[in-house]
Amino acid sequence: MFTGRARALLAALLVLGLTLVIFDLRGGQGPFSTLTSGVGAVLGGAERVGSAVASPFIGIRDWWGTWGDQRAKIAALESENQQLQSLVHRSENDRNRADQLDGLLRVAGVGEYRIVPAEVIAIGPAQDFAWTVTIDAGRADGIERDMSVINGDGLVGRVQSVRSNTSTVVLIVDSTISVGARVAGSGEVGILSGTGQQESMEFQMLDPLAPMQPGDALVTFGSKGGRPYAPGIPIGEVVKVQGTAGQLTRVATIRPFADMSALGVVGVVIKPPRTDPRDSVLPDRQGAATLPTPEPTQASASPSPTAPELNASPVPSAS
Amino acid sequence: MKTRRAVLSATLVLIALVLQTSFLGRLGLPGATPDLVLVVVVALSLAYGPGVGGVTGFIAGLLVDMAPPADGVVGLTALIGLAVGTITGAAIDPRDRTIVSISGMVGASTGGAVIVYAAMSSIVGGGRVDWSLVPGLALSAGLYGVLLGMAVVPFVTWAARRMTPDLVL
Repeated sequence: MFTGRARALLAALLVLGLTLVIFDLRGGQGPFSTLTSGVGAVLGGAERVGSAVASPFIGIRDWWGTWGDQRAKIAALESENQQLQSLVHRSENDRNRADQLDGLLRVAGVGEYRIVPAEVIAIGPAQDFAWTVTIDAGRADGIERDMSVINGDGLVGRVQSVRSNTSTVVLIVDSTISVGARVAGSGEVGILSGTGQQESMEFQMLDPLAPMQPGDALVTFGSKGGRPYAPGIPIGEVVKVQGTAGQLTRVATIRPFADMSALGVVGVVIKPPRTDPRDSVLPDRQGAATLPTPEPTQASASPSPTAPELNASPVPSAS
Repeated sequence: MKTRRAVLSATLVLIALVLQTSFLGRLGLPGATPDLVLVVVVALSLAYGPGVGGVTGFIAGLLVDMAPPADGVVGLTALIGLAVGTITGAAIDPRDRTIVSISGMVGASTGGAVIVYAAMSSIVGGGRVDWSLVPGLALSAGLYGVLLGMAVVPFVTWAARRMTPDLVL
């Protein structure tokens, strides 16, 4: 069945494949990684074109949404409608207060993240267990490795690798990801890890005695220099707490705000805010109570010795 | 004639790869992402035999490993492609091709690839493999593979007969 030549060729390929695996596991720079990123850049370009062609057909995805139980969907929409209505009524009052807060917020900034918008153009296959996506912004747009990626709902992930015009983003639900997070309000810190499942991340609090209950929101704690995670980005909310207060390990299940399976336009944070925005970027669900806390005043007072230019020219963008 | 075979194989694999990442992956189908590249490898292997199938599978797998947003160990999918291409071509006799045997081969390849990938990935320490998901993913991958195979295998066979009538088995 096989000629001698074919057999030799297949054996050579087997050896080559194993060599590649070993090279990749060793990591580091070299001709191999240059080759990989070069091929990746070419295929990334092809994916851009393919994505543009395929975009009109992606709408098919909405079909299987309607196959599911529509009644639940209607109920969800009705409750959302009610929430929005109450939000409209409240906003009149809030606007008044917002005017007063404006002076404070201009300095503290409601999450003064400087972002580069991008669109998700390819999603990694589910069977390689990695939650990764390709976005259509790369080195040419100022993207660098380990920048945070957000969307309108909250934290999406971080940049894993960058090519000239595309980048690969690892989503926070990926099982290799850990994010330092803080419970909004109480300020308790802990470590949030992806589990590889979309709706359930695990949050382990450093202080097992700290109070936590379903509905609490989490924001990023922030990393040094804002990489890989800028501070104050909303992540998700607690849906379940396992273990009681005082137990050695208390683990909470977190549902991320951002819907990882329906990502569209995202933003890459190319510059974190000068000051930690604390909880102010969170969606306003526990009433406006989180906003007018004295935190902005602290934030505006603390950076003055380290960042004098902040006082010299108040940032106008947040108004 | 051999150049035309190489061009045809490369074109089909590249189109499959772009379709898989940019379209099939974004459809949000339940379970695994349909593995179009592997189905094309099986089809080419059926058309040209195990030698060409193995080489095509290796190169296609290598491209899958390198195509963004893949973040696994480079070389694993290449080895799987090599195995699938070689085994398919060797296992199915050209004179004994029924829709059942071909569908079975495609399904076993796409489903088995998931299990083998998960196993190899845990051996080399990818650290991401969640074995509780593997049965569902393997089953759905096999099912999608069979469905894709019904369209892809006849198309590739037709294209191969047209472009390279002398080389098709």
